[in-house]
Amino acid sequence: MNNLTTKQKILEASIRLFNWNDVANVRLQQIADETGISVGNLAYHFKNKEAIVNAVYENLFDEFSGILSGYLLSSKLTDFDLQMERYHRFFARYKFYLIDLFEIERSYPAIMERWRECVHKMVLQIRKRLDYNVQRGILRPEPMPGVYDTLTNNIWMTVVFWIPQQVLKDQPVDELLFKKSVWEHISPHFTAKGLDEFKMEVQPLFLSFK
Amino acid sequence: MKHAFTMPAELYAKMLDELSNLFFTEKLGLDSDMNFYRDDLWLSDTAVIETLIRRKGTWEISLLFAHHKTPLKFLSRRITSHSCPHRARTMAFYMRRLAAKDQRGTLTVDINDLNLTLN
Repeated sequence: MNNLTTKQKILEASIRLFNWNDVANVRLQQIADETGISVGNLAYHFKNKEAIVNAVYENLFDEFSGILSGYLLSSKLTDFDLQMERYHRFFARYKFYLIDLFEIERSYPAIMERWRECVHKMVLQIRKRLDYNVQRGILRPEPMPGVYDTLTNNIWMTVVFWIPQQVLKDQPVDELLFKKSVWEHISPHFTAKGLDEFKMEVQPLFLSFK
Repeated sequence: MKHAFTMPAELYAKMLDELSNLFFTEKLGLDSDMNFYRDDLWLSDTAVIETLIRRKGTWEISLLFAHHKTPLKFLSRRITSHSCPHRARTMAFYMRRLAAKDQRGTLTVDINDLNLTLN
C-alpha cells in the first residue's frame, strides 16, 4: 500500500468512499481527507471529480477486460470456476457499481455505454461456455430451444447481483457460497461425464475454503 | 474517458466459437511424434546447409539437415556462435564439411522438391 503513487492512493480512497457513500454523495474534500492529502494536492492530480470518476471507471473496465480475457484458457470446468472467482473479487471490490447504476446512466453516459458492452460480452461468454460444454458432452443438449438462454441469464444475474442481495438480507458475502449458487444453476444439466468431472475437479476446490 | 476498442456482437460471438473450437481441433501431440528428433540416424543421409544469423551481437552458426529424398524432413541445429563474422563463416564452412556425409556436397536439396505454393 505504501508503494502506491499518490494518484493510485487517490483512486483507492475514492473506491472506498464510493462503496460507502456512492459516487454522487462523495465530495473532493472527503477524497482528500481519506487519501491524507490536501484538496490542492488532489486538484494537482485530478482537475475535478469527473476526472476521478473516469479514472476509477477506467481501472474498473481494465480489470473487467482482464476477467473476460480469461475465457476458456483451459478446456475443463475449472476454467469457469476460476473466472467466477475473479468475478466475485471484482464485484466485491467495486460494490458501488450497482448503487450507481442509474446515476451513471444520467450523469456519465459514456461509462454506461462501456458497462453495457462489458455486460453483453459477459452474457455471450456464459452462453458460449454452455454450448462448448454441450459439445464436449459435459452438459445435456438443450431440452427445448431457449432453455439455455434463460439459464445464461440466470447465471449472469447470480454473478452480478448475488453480493447486493446477500448484503440486503444481511447474509455473509462469502466466495464459496457465491460459487455454489452459480454452480447450482448448471449442475441439474450435467451429463454423467459432466457430474464426474465436477466431482473430481471442481468440488475439491471448494475444500480450500474451509 | 479514453476510447475503447469495440467489435460487433456477432463478430465477438464468432470469435468465442473459434476459441471453443480450438479445443476440438487441436489435440495434444504424442511423444512418438518427436522420435525424428531423438532418433537422428537419418541425419547421416542428409544434405547439410550452413546458415549464419546475427543474434544478440554475435553470429550464430546453425546447420540445416534436410533428407535428400524427402526434403520436407529437415532439422535445424544451432552449433555455436562467434562475434567475428569472418571466423563464423569459416567455422560454418568446416562444420558443414564435418557434418555432411559426402564432403564434396553431392547430396543436395532442390527447392522445387519442397512443392511450395507462394499464394
